[in-house]
Amino acid sequence: MAKSDGSEKPTSISGRRWGRGLGAGALVLVTSLGGCFGAIGGSAPDATGIGPTQKPAKFVPQPATIHRLTSIQLQNTWKALFGSALVPPVADELPQDDQAYGFTSIASSLRTVSPLEAEQYEKATYFVLDQVWASEAWRSATLGCEPTTVDDPCVRAYFTKFARRAWRRPLASAEVDEFIALTTKVTAFTNTLSEALKFGTAAVLQSPNFLFRIEVGAPVGTEDPEHEGLLKLTGLELASRTSYLLLDAPPTEDVLDSAEAGFFDEPTVVRAFVTQVLNEPAARGPLVRFFRDFMNIGRLDQLDKSADLFPAFSQTLGPAMRTEIEKLFEAKVFDEGGDFRALFTTRETFLNEELAKVYGIAGVTGNEFVSVTLPDDGKRAGLLTTPGFLAMNAHKTATSPTHRGRFVRMSLLCQDVPPPPMGVSTVLPEPSPSEPTTLRERLEVHRQDELCRSCHQLMDPIGFGFEHFDALGQWRDTENGMTIDTASDLDGRPFNDANELAGLVAALPEVGVCIARRFYQHATARLDRKGDGPAVKALVNSFIASDFDFKQLVTDMVVNDGYRYAAVPLEAP
Amino acid sequence: MSRGRFQGRGLDRRTVLKGLLGGAMLGVGVPILEAMLNGHGSAYADGDPLPTRFGLWFFGNGVRLSSWLPVNQGADWQPPAAGELVPLVPHKEYVSVISGLNVKTPRHPHHSGISAVCSGGPHLKVDDVRDTIVSTFKYKSIDQVAADHFQALAPSPYRSLEAAITRFRGTDEGTSFQYLSHNGSANGETNVNPSEESPQAFFERLFNMGTAAPLLLKARASVLDSVANQITALEKRLGHRDKERLDQHFTSVRELEQRLSLPLAECSKPTAPGDFPDVKGNEQMVEKNKVMSDLMVLALTCRLTQSFSIMFSTCGSGVVMWPAGATDGQHYMNHTEPAPRTKQHNSVTFTMGQLAYFLEKLKGTPEGAGNLLDQSSIFVCTEHAEGWTHSQDDMPMLLCGKGGGRLKGNVHYRGNGDNASRGLLTALRGAGLPLSEFGHEAGKTSTPIAELENA
Repeated sequence: MAKSDGSEKPTSISGRRWGRGLGAGALVLVTSLGGCFGAIGGSAPDATGIGPTQKPAKFVPQPATIHRLTSIQLQNTWKALFGSALVPPVADELPQDDQAYGFTSIASSLRTVSPLEAEQYEKATYFVLDQVWASEAWRSATLGCEPTTVDDPCVRAYFTKFARRAWRRPLASAEVDEFIALTTKVTAFTNTLSEALKFGTAAVLQSPNFLFRIEVGAPVGTEDPEHEGLLKLTGLELASRTSYLLLDAPPTEDVLDSAEAGFFDEPTVVRAFVTQVLNEPAARGPLVRFFRDFMNIGRLDQLDKSADLFPAFSQTLGPAMRTEIEKLFEAKVFDEGGDFRALFTTRETFLNEELAKVYGIAGVTGNEFVSVTLPDDGKRAGLLTTPGFLAMNAHKTATSPTHRGRFVRMSLLCQDVPPPPMGVSTVLPEPSPSEPTTLRERLEVHRQDELCRSCHQLMDPIGFGFEHFDALGQWRDTENGMTIDTASDLDGRPFNDANELAGLVAALPEVGVCIARRFYQHATARLDRKGDGPAVKALVNSFIASDFDFKQLVTDMVVNDGYRYAAVPLEAP
Repeated sequence: MSRGRFQGRGLDRRTVLKGLLGGAMLGVGVPILEAMLNGHGSAYADGDPLPTRFGLWFFGNGVRLSSWLPVNQGADWQPPAAGELVPLVPHKEYVSVISGLNVKTPRHPHHSGISAVCSGGPHLKVDDVRDTIVSTFKYKSIDQVAADHFQALAPSPYRSLEAAITRFRGTDEGTSFQYLSHNGSANGETNVNPSEESPQAFFERLFNMGTAAPLLLKARASVLDSVANQITALEKRLGHRDKERLDQHFTSVRELEQRLSLPLAECSKPTAPGDFPDVKGNEQMVEKNKVMSDLMVLALTCRLTQSFSIMFSTCGSGVVMWPAGATDGQHYMNHTEPAPRTKQHNSVTFTMGQLAYFLEKLKGTPEGAGNLLDQSSIFVCTEHAEGWTHSQDDMPMLLCGKGGGRLKGNVHYRGNGDNASRGLLTALRGAGLPLSEFGHEAGKTSTPIAELENA
């Protein structure tokens, strides 16, 4: 555990105490590698990108933007509108969710709608509506009445109520008029008014107001000097932002009502609300999906290993590895609570039969995951010795200390490593049959060549710690009969093996800072920039103050300024 | 886009066809029949030239130059023994090889390469705050440049069609690594035309729509019209980047709406191809290439589109070229295989064999007095010369098809380190685009490769 090994727990991210908490090694290393590190947000880099070397910045959040709903958000939104009996289109039939900087949320704030995707949305809309309209009872329940003419007041009542749920905001009267006019027009092409209403509804559901989460905000004036000149997201916008963040689903009518009544202006009320939502089973999936993106373990679903070298490999093994990591996170955050960094040292995990074989653990049978305590043999503990981490950051046939180290450096510590320079061959010397060498020995070229060394020393030394685990994540005593040397260092802190490395990582505040910062990026759907600094610092400080309690991080995010304010977007040059 | 112009132009031909075929509802989406042509089969009866097609065919990770480059320059190129272009020899009358051209835009592994050879411009870093790069294309890819041209002349039902043969197995480095066809990005928005990866879905989309009642098509078109109006209203409340995003949404919705009002006759409907799930973890890429190529050729001959792209593998692809004996993902293999890099060589040779299938299919599809390949200009490229050094000098390019008589074929043109965009410019001119210059920023050129063009 972090605190038992004497590591200092910083109380604040700003000031000298924080600098000491990072450890001299990290700071010295970083300054000596100025050429290798990419500057973050244009500031002088330090281990976190937001540390003491940076002047306190003025809070300038990212510009307001619109967010395309992901496929699961679309599916949940249709279900919220029509009931759980609905069978929504499967993800393959919907526009694809991409990742940008790791997160689906960020990619969704960048994507537009291509011609193919417009087709997919249209097809999906009628796939949904045809189900509802095929049942008279279901259609009636949706419409709330059986109008005989389009002038029936219940037509207006229907669009007013339905579109408010669908668009997550009340409609202007003129907007409702448009749907009534459309329905009237379409009546000429359909046999019945009810069929025309289906097409009117289709216009609600293909609207950008439905397919995107719209955030425009309201200008802040002199009444709030601290935020003057920024945009404050409206209560309704925050209701949607929060509901999709926590549940991947639209706000309920109750939440919409409350939002319109100013609910999101009351931090204590918001906190209580988030705490309550986080206790719902439905909150688990979306946060687990955040962690999936954070760990980049969605890739495990396509894990590809040599069947010749790894008889234990199968098409279902990669997804099982992903499931283990997701269950570890879920159990830690939702069932146990407390310092999330314990994920790096725990010997408790979840295995099914085929994954247990990778661990060399007998007695687990079937596809269901069961709780398992790993043996106290000093070999494995926590996330960094899961087969998922080890196999994903390795090649089809061979391990990769570089990739494993790179993952720790970039994804867990949020530090940058540039790509290899142009024109340099990346091929390692072949092992000579007469003089067998370990991979670690062959990677020595990275240390000898200055061009390679400046960046590879950020990655390879960490990765050497995992060399007792093969490309599938199985323990190996030797590498082709040769002794494996896992002793190395993490920015000057020595370790002997993966277990000790995991303990070092768990004690690093950077790990907590990094996941908090990544959650900020996920929740705001942007990379943070210099202007986000004060908001990120506030989030990180409260995360540290909570002893790295992840649920607390989520709650604090929702009342964070970076979540509630936006800059005015740029106009065309 | 001028819809009126299309209807005007299409009318005569439809009238002719009505007479021919007993008044069946016809329009675009009809193969060009002999009876529609002049006596030589070289143009329509009314003197309009036959339509050209433009294609972009991409494969990832570069080649092995020593065995890629032909042994001679000029006419009648010859590959070295067991060279990577050997599979194309049966079609060499239709294939010119372009070499010796370099990427002139600011370089970055993979990113600048694909952007340069597919758009003629630099890549655009998205959220330019880290060295870890996520990029998209700053300018539209050339399939979309061609589509703009064709659609302005006489709109096809689909402005372009996109297909992928192997799966995306790359890294999270932006759309440059995942997609081929791009619409350009003014402000870092990611505006792509995703490639269809499923043959079955591609078939369903193009050939199995069924026949909807015309009145219901009108209802759907009315809905889309309303949606387009909503997009316009929403745009007024948003900043520049979001306006760009919604502009594309608007365009996409309007195109769909217009398509509903076109009388789409059924092409001869192919049988449902089904999908090709992995067999023992191996992508069924030969079978998929065959079916996707067949469907694309059918879409082209039916005039569903004039511009297309086929992404055989993505930029920096990790696809395992197992039919060529590879056991690792191609990107990793490129970075680890020692000289002489036989597996990389075999993978590229295999890839050219897959291209050869597509060319053969086009060649075997009659159109006018010749075939579909006679009427096409297809640009083949990859993002590196050689993947293991990320080199972007001496970029491997092919120009396939005769471009309706504009292109010679069977020439190896070797430049002297000049701009890679010259290849793109020549390919676009080959499809009939009246361009004297092409490319963007450092990628701009005004020198087409005259050696490949018929005067």
